[in-house]
Amino acid sequence: MEYLVQLVISGLAIGAIYGLIAMGFAVIYKSTGLVNFAQGEMTMIVAYVAWTISTSISGNVFVVAFGAILAAILLGLVIERIVIRPMLGEPVFATVMVTIGLAVILRSSINFIWDAYPHGLDLGVGRDIIRFGNIGVRTGQIAVIATLLFLLAAIWAFFRYSKFGIAMRAVAADDRTALLMGISATRVHAIAWAASSVIAGIAGVFFAISYDISPAMFQLGLKAFPATILGGLDAILGSGLGGLLIGITENLAGGYLGSGMKEVAGFVMIVVVLMIRPFGIFGERDIERV
Amino acid sequence: MRSGDFKQSYGELVALTDSRPVWLWSAILVVALIAAPYMLNSYALSFLIIILITGVGALGLNILTGYTGLISLGHVGFLVTGAYAYAVTVSKYGMPPIVGFLAAGIVPALASLVVGAPSLRLKGLYLAITTLAFSFIINTVILEARTLTNGARGISVQRPEIFGVSFDSDTAFTHLCLGFAIVTLFATLNIRRSRVGRAFVAIRDNDIAARVMGINLHAYKLFAFVTSAFITGIAGALYGIYLSFVSVEGFPFLLSIEALAILIVGGLGSALGAVLGTILIVLLPEATRFTFSLFSAQMDALFSTGAQELKSMLYGLVIILFLRFQPRGLVGAWHDIRRTWVNWPLRY
Repeated sequence: MEYLVQLVISGLAIGAIYGLIAMGFAVIYKSTGLVNFAQGEMTMIVAYVAWTISTSISGNVFVVAFGAILAAILLGLVIERIVIRPMLGEPVFATVMVTIGLAVILRSSINFIWDAYPHGLDLGVGRDIIRFGNIGVRTGQIAVIATLLFLLAAIWAFFRYSKFGIAMRAVAADDRTALLMGISATRVHAIAWAASSVIAGIAGVFFAISYDISPAMFQLGLKAFPATILGGLDAILGSGLGGLLIGITENLAGGYLGSGMKEVAGFVMIVVVLMIRPFGIFGERDIERV
Repeated sequence: MRSGDFKQSYGELVALTDSRPVWLWSAILVVALIAAPYMLNSYALSFLIIILITGVGALGLNILTGYTGLISLGHVGFLVTGAYAYAVTVSKYGMPPIVGFLAAGIVPALASLVVGAPSLRLKGLYLAITTLAFSFIINTVILEARTLTNGARGISVQRPEIFGVSFDSDTAFTHLCLGFAIVTLFATLNIRRSRVGRAFVAIRDNDIAARVMGINLHAYKLFAFVTSAFITGIAGALYGIYLSFVSVEGFPFLLSIEALAILIVGGLGSALGAVLGTILIVLLPEATRFTFSLFSAQMDALFSTGAQELKSMLYGLVIILFLRFQPRGLVGAWHDIRRTWVNWPLRY
């Protein structure tokens, strides 16, 4: 029983990281209509920047957090301006392929800018263990779950109630009509990319605090795919919850079925879910008009 | 002077080509390719072999992604299944290579039914991600099925001997790959101009309209999956033989990206494009290395240390640049050049 609870808790913690990255996917999808295959790579880059700040400038948590968020915003804006904006108006397939190309480039750039060895991001926080009875939880794990819940609520409310959030949904639904209504599609795209990059960066820094950064970290993005799909690409709340679900499933599969199953548990789960609900659990069904 | 294409019968319209020079030049190319292994050194020959094998795989993916418009990010899954099917039947159970090649086609084809079936309900990006999931699942299945596949240890594969002809030497193996490549090229070209191929293209262009015209979407989508997986599996078997060792690590996820890069660079939905794209993508890392080594020895050293990373960076760059500046790929560029050449000095 203790083993089960421990698995579920560490599953929730890693699931929260997947959930954050999945939210990043959903923010871009909901406002631009594309899937950003470079999300995992963006997560990794921001984590590396945070690590560089912590070793070269200051290990203070606030300095690192501020620097990482700034770097994430910059990264998102630069990617949007250089790579995505020229593709505006092209078919979705082409733009999605561009993000795949971008993912490959970012992934290999790590080895040239930094190095191929794993590093720990030690900010002096997040590694203390709080005990509830026999079960130990790290403060970093609690913090990441809390962050996920807070961001979920904030972003959901943003898309639901704020004027700019509604504008973003309009652009995703039909960018030409949105343009005619006086919405600046380029600004919507830029902000979506920046926001998504920040969310990805937060996930990356939390991951780096609890685990290590290494050039294989982009795989977080692949792991977060099942989470977004499970929730539905256009569902912010769904992607967050999907992340938690995938995290728990993965850990239980790893704990009871072996490490091989842990790697693919999420993927098996989405194949099954998609067979029953092709648009994810919380996703909206596309209605096609001819 | 030819002033236009005037076709008077349906047969003429779907003929592979209406021009004798094209047949002539193709024949010359084939003869040159047969003669090539005797002239080239072993280094250049290895590139020829890789181009031929990759070409088979790219033509396989072209049926699914190029013709039918179903994006697959997991084609490396079919590649690795084919390689293992060959290795298990031939190396492990000692069956003749011809059976091995059949298995290398049929096993991925069966696997594709498993992926294809749920994919019938999925569209676009959801499908892409399901195929991505498939390629990861298949790797785990291979690693777990130790009794059949030796797990992570892999299986070593010998060059085959078919009907008493040994394909042990590089020259003979090149001829084998060439044979497969030519058969695949003709197969895909013929599929494209048949009823089935037209159905595929109709599904790609507008699946609802295709359905209204009486095309059975489920049957044809599954058929595209099966054909594509069959061809890709054979390419996998050839690649496994070429590497002389089949393991999960030999087929990294990057191969899926490489295959898509080939199709985009060549021009989506065209067999000629797949061939041109293959040549460009296979030779690109080498060509880049050569160009940089002209400038400095330091660059050369960088290429030998970070070869894999630079290769993937190049793929990424090529994908982005082509989609941005030449979305119709090399085939599109070729058509433009040809039209300008024929019509000059007129615009059209």
